[in-house]
Amino acid sequence: MENDLSERRSAAELSQRDLAEAVGVTRQTINAIERDRYDPSLELAFKLAGHFDCAIEDIFDPE
Amino acid sequence: MSSAHDTSGLTRQRYQRIVYGLVAVGIVGLVAGIAFDAHLAGTVIYLLGAWAGAGIAYGAPRLTDATLQDERDRELHNVASGLTMGVSMTLGIGIIPALYVLDAGGYVTLDGAPGGVVLTLSALYLLYGVCHGIAKRRV
Repeated sequence: MENDLSERRSAAELSQRDLAEAVGVTRQTINAIERDRYDPSLELAFKLAGHFDCAIEDIFDPE
Repeated sequence: MSSAHDTSGLTRQRYQRIVYGLVAVGIVGLVAGIAFDAHLAGTVIYLLGAWAGAGIAYGAPRLTDATLQDERDRELHNVASGLTMGVSMTLGIGIIPALYVLDAGGYVTLDGAPGGVVLTLSALYLLYGVCHGIAKRRV
């Protein structure tokens, strides 16, 4: 599943560690999501969407 | 909301270093005990290291708000466990039942190390079945 988390994080001037702390996961997990190597749980996807004030499908593309 | 840092100062990196370090000390102690013919001392060092490491690995995530483990760690554990059981069962299920029959028929004798391996794998599959049943009740 592709995502634009990296772009959104950069636009918000957040480091991976900052975002990880904000949503309660490790920096490695944010890195793995950004590299499309890990699909987050629905709970984490909601947290990420909530953090960037958008819908889950705005960040993640199932195609 | 949990965070990677909390007032305890325990971070994921420090947590992993402590746990792996304690287990490493235990293993080194055990090997040194064998090498220097101090088996009892080596065993004590190993048990102390292993128990302390396991205790911290289990207890620390429950006693701090820091994010020491998260959903990806659990996913990695689940995938690794699934692969381990998959490989083990692929090799074992096709052979072990036949070995029991051949042993009962007197064609082979399951004793010594091979017998121990067969019994251990059989116990592992039985334990997996029990754990799978428990997991199905939860998920």
